[in-house]
Amino acid sequence: MLKTKVAPSLAGLARPDKNKSNMSSSELPRKEANVLKGHEGAVLAARFNSDGNYCLSCGKDRTIRLWNPHRGIHIKNYKSHGREVRDVHVTPDNSKLCSCGGDRQIFYWDVSTGRVIRKFRGHDGEVNAVKFNEYASVVVSAGYDRSLRAWDCRSHSTEPIQIIDSFLDTVMSVCLTKTEIIGGSVDGTVRTFDIRIGREISDDLGQPVNCISMSNDGNCILASCLDSSIRLLDRSTGELLQEYKGHACKSYKMDCCLTNSDAHVIGGSEDGSIFFWDLVDASVVSKFRAHSSVVTSVSYHPKDNCMITSSVDGSVRVWKT
Amino acid sequence: MDSDEEDYVFFGTPIEREEEITNRRKKAAAEASGNLRALPPWKQEVRDEEGRRRFHGAFTGGFSAGYFNTVGTKEGWAPQSFTSSRKNRAEVKQQSIFNFLDEDEKAELEGTLGTSSQFDTFGFTAAEHARKQADKEQKQRPSAIPGPIPDELVLPASESIGVKLLLKMGWRHGRAINDSRASSLYDARREARKALLAFASEDAKAPCPADEPVEEPESFTVQPSDDDARSSQSLPAFVCNPKQDLHGLGYDPFKHAPEFREKKRLHLLNDKQRGDRKTMSIKDSLFGSKSGKAAPGFGIGALEEYDAEDEDIYAAGYDFEETCIEDDEEPSRLGIESKQPSRLSIESKQKVVARDQGVLPGFKVASVSDYQLERFDPPVIPKDFAPHHKFPGPLETLKKLDVPSPPEVPPPDDSNLKLLIEGVAKLVARCGKLFEDLSRKKNQSNPLFSFLSGGNGHDYYERRLWEEHQKFGVQAKLLLDGKLSPSMQKMTAESRGKLLGEKPLERSSRETTSSSVASGEFQLQFNLSDTFKKPDSFSKLPEVAKPFKDDPAKQERFEQFLKEKYEGGLRSTGYTVASNMSEAARAREKLDFEAAAEAIEKGKRGKESMVSTQPLDFLASGMQFTSGGLEQVENGHAEDLVTKKMYPRREEFQWRPAPVLCKRFDLIDPFMGKPPPAPRARSKIDSLLFIPDSVKVAKPEEVAITNRDVPAAQTGAQMTIEDVAEEEIEIVAENVERPVDLYKAIFSDDSDDDVEDLNTKKVEDPEKKTEVATTALNRLIADDFLESLGKELGFEVPPDTPYSTNKANALRIETPNSDSGNAKFSTGTYLNPGNETAQDGDSQKNKSIPVRSGGYNSSKHTVGLLNMSGKVNEDKFAQEDKKVKSPSSRQRNWSSSSSSDDERSRKHSKRHRHRSSGSYSDPSSDDREHYRSRSKGKRERSSREKSSHSRKHSKHHKHRSRDSPSRSHRGSEREHSEGRKEKRKRRD
Repeated sequence: MLKTKVAPSLAGLARPDKNKSNMSSSELPRKEANVLKGHEGAVLAARFNSDGNYCLSCGKDRTIRLWNPHRGIHIKNYKSHGREVRDVHVTPDNSKLCSCGGDRQIFYWDVSTGRVIRKFRGHDGEVNAVKFNEYASVVVSAGYDRSLRAWDCRSHSTEPIQIIDSFLDTVMSVCLTKTEIIGGSVDGTVRTFDIRIGREISDDLGQPVNCISMSNDGNCILASCLDSSIRLLDRSTGELLQEYKGHACKSYKMDCCLTNSDAHVIGGSEDGSIFFWDLVDASVVSKFRAHSSVVTSVSYHPKDNCMITSSVDGSVRVWKT
Repeated sequence: MDSDEEDYVFFGTPIEREEEITNRRKKAAAEASGNLRALPPWKQEVRDEEGRRRFHGAFTGGFSAGYFNTVGTKEGWAPQSFTSSRKNRAEVKQQSIFNFLDEDEKAELEGTLGTSSQFDTFGFTAAEHARKQADKEQKQRPSAIPGPIPDELVLPASESIGVKLLLKMGWRHGRAINDSRASSLYDARREARKALLAFASEDAKAPCPADEPVEEPESFTVQPSDDDARSSQSLPAFVCNPKQDLHGLGYDPFKHAPEFREKKRLHLLNDKQRGDRKTMSIKDSLFGSKSGKAAPGFGIGALEEYDAEDEDIYAAGYDFEETCIEDDEEPSRLGIESKQPSRLSIESKQKVVARDQGVLPGFKVASVSDYQLERFDPPVIPKDFAPHHKFPGPLETLKKLDVPSPPEVPPPDDSNLKLLIEGVAKLVARCGKLFEDLSRKKNQSNPLFSFLSGGNGHDYYERRLWEEHQKFGVQAKLLLDGKLSPSMQKMTAESRGKLLGEKPLERSSRETTSSSVASGEFQLQFNLSDTFKKPDSFSKLPEVAKPFKDDPAKQERFEQFLKEKYEGGLRSTGYTVASNMSEAARAREKLDFEAAAEAIEKGKRGKESMVSTQPLDFLASGMQFTSGGLEQVENGHAEDLVTKKMYPRREEFQWRPAPVLCKRFDLIDPFMGKPPPAPRARSKIDSLLFIPDSVKVAKPEEVAITNRDVPAAQTGAQMTIEDVAEEEIEIVAENVERPVDLYKAIFSDDSDDDVEDLNTKKVEDPEKKTEVATTALNRLIADDFLESLGKELGFEVPPDTPYSTNKANALRIETPNSDSGNAKFSTGTYLNPGNETAQDGDSQKNKSIPVRSGGYNSSKHTVGLLNMSGKVNEDKFAQEDKKVKSPSSRQRNWSSSSSSDDERSRKHSKRHRHRSSGSYSDPSSDDREHYRSRSKGKRERSSREKSSHSRKHSKHHKHRSRDSPSRSHRGSEREHSEGRKEKRKRRD
């Protein structure tokens, strides 16, 4: 109850913030606020939860960790994976987690108890990404076996309710909207599966797609390609709107995202730096060295000017203005 | 679970000889229950659970004969196949001592025999000998591994003959074989220039770009031809460090605890030099642990295999700086007294500095060195020194010409003496005074030669000598006039140039005006080198390779550089450069030039034929010249443009979300109530035809277009036209829709034993069956229908791909065959009314068998129970089985040949399941059954009508099949959409 009361006011506060960040690049989070240390080995993903108060990270040490990034506190450890954990996602109500990784399984966790509610098996290879849908009823996973699989969280069946295997190569990343499943694959395509009209739209970029992320207005897709460029696609027409270059992204799975105001594009680089591009003119607005090694993941706060980055160097860093 | 069961194939039912078993069981049970107790012990029989009598061993009141009263093995007696010994008699074997010796004894015996190295042409025995020697030595030495080392592990290091030859030819280990010219000297020069470049760079940024040209030549050498480059790289020299510990080979006790390795090493060191024991700070060694490449220790459990995918791709992230340890190590290694920590830090700092200057660790650079370079002044040249050498010989003879002539003397009377005098004079004139002296000395006593020493005829001799001299001198002069005499004169540059065939020098005004004296000098030198003839290869070059086209000045300089390079000979210390260029820039440029030149050369050497285009090509692409980069960027832009035109490319496909998914996403299933979709055209095309990508791409686009048309067609304006069109192709549309219905019909009754059902159905409504069996017309229909069905299912194949047509043909042939066979079978069963009563139960069983089975076992089993008529049938079964099998196997092949992707999708689709089930069921009967069910549905039509109708359809299909493949597919696609549209309309 309290949260719901606070939320509108926060949103109200956030609006002027947004405008500011739209206007100047000085509002970009470039100051290191906290370093979250605890992972042994590479951290493969770091994600804010839906309200941005907490964040999750997962890595090669087979654990998922829950943090309070604003205070720099480690809250909980989720251990059950047999191999490295590659991606994690939280439900909008913060009650459940899903994670996936090298053990070819998708784990469905209860956040508070830290127990695994369900394990979904069926992928024939490592699983690269997972996402909940809006109602947290379906987990969609993207795997090395060139498929997207949708798993039902409501029923007790552990069989996938849908297998999408029209991809020609590893699916690296998945995004969900209310009506669509979008997957980015190494075969160079971003495929949108529209459930409402039963159609698959494939946008071939010609370059292996490393990571896709949706713009906050839902009109664009940001696709990070392995030719060291990030491409912005118009979702309705499939048009290439812009290309962002300058960073190095050639061999690692790395994330990219947009700021919450959609004014800037953020991407990590293999040399450990973070790049900010202007969305419209694709110029590098800011660039700084955040980590000593490959930046694997970037996540932007849903409301504030805050960002978390994770790296192979084993740390998760929190950046604020 | 379904899929699991499908994998099993049941062959018939097992036979149980009931009466035997039950009898025995009963007996056993009765005896167990207590009947036996009444008997006295000696009358009691021991029986096993099957009731068979068992004999027991001595201790249990009997004997046990072998393995369950059989032979001592489970298999029992294995009958040996009989071989007649009449033809092949047992051979008398030659026995030798070796037949009776053990292995080791044989070895010993053989040990006495040896090969002599005398005839060892290829050195094998020598190698063997060396190995034995090594073995012997190994035994004498204390070895890490107790006992002799296995031969496989340790081999004597002997060089192959090739290596030996190479060594004799001057090759050394670690050196490239092909171009030894370049490597050492050339590299050294390069290094030096690099160093110069590094030092001369004024600003901090300079080293960065400087690095690039250094790297690029590498890529250059690699590019033209791979193996050439590989061979030109120097070979790595492997240095093995000897094994000194007593652990097993490859065992590293500190694998997981590298911090202890350090400690252990230090420990050993301390043991060695007992005098100065030092305390090693644990702290440092612990730091060392971080530096050791400790893998992120977690990851893989003991039972999980560690394969390639588990490799730590992020390993680079774990490299910590190791400097602090190294600093600590070195004093200890050198046995220097351990210092206090505070001093140590200072020490190490100094050492870091020292190391930079190439000073041995542990030593300091002396502030004052007693070694001084002594310099000497150059020798003083005397003022009267003339730098010309004077030749004494010829000049002397010429001088003599000036000697005044002696008076004419009449020759002596003695003609002999006269001849002698003349001869001697001639010789002396030719050979010089020395000859005169010699002959005089020799013939001192000889009165004939007295003329030499002022005796008789001396005057005449004098005169003759002078004459001879004169004569000879003139001759010499004549001779020298052409050649020799100018060399005596001062030679001018022009004359020398003329002599050597040079062009006359011309100083270009541009150069002279341009600048300083020094550069003028260079110019002169350069011009000199320019004047020499160019080698043929070089004369081609300028047209061929102009890597610096866009910078003419630079290109010019490059050409100059090339000339210098190829001319050899006169090599200027520096070459002409724009005077505003800095030293660093010049050095960098030179590196560039060298790289380019090398590339050109390589390119030429590699592909003589493609000289004109190739080198330029890869110059532009592979290399980045400091200013030549522009062109490359342009290229890149062009490429970008191309890719931008191509990408992103949008395609649309139909995709059917699962109903559950829609439910979970809280959406209405767009395909709700619709039959499961026909498999996507794309995949079908993929699997059947191997079309290149471009074609494949084109097709879905068309699909997309048609799809987009669909909603538009629904709007009012176009409706009428569409309606007309629809009416026209209504039949077609219906026809196309039929497979969908068929699918539904096939897959909706997805019961497990649908095949069996069919058979029972066969029995249940015999009038149907007889109808089928008897009316030839119906069979015809069925044939036609099957053909069309085959087409619908995607077996229809365009004629131009031979691979798939084969299969299609096979299928088309196969189906009627099996069909007719089946018909025979059915007639067979039903044209035996006399046996029907007796056969009833059996035939029932019998019918189910061939359907379930694919093999022969079951039919064998049935033989016993079948009566005569059954046997007749059974033959047919066998035939039937074979026929059924062949298409199924073909289908298997077909599916395996299709792309794996497609296969995977099919695995999960119902269609596949049915197909696989079809492999052991009888497809033809199956199909016909469905056909019948359809016909049942449309009973209002007469069979005549039906037949004609279906025939029409089949004709239509034939038409389509005659069309080009792409068209037919497109057509079917369109029809699909049309059909859907129609449906939608109906719903509306």
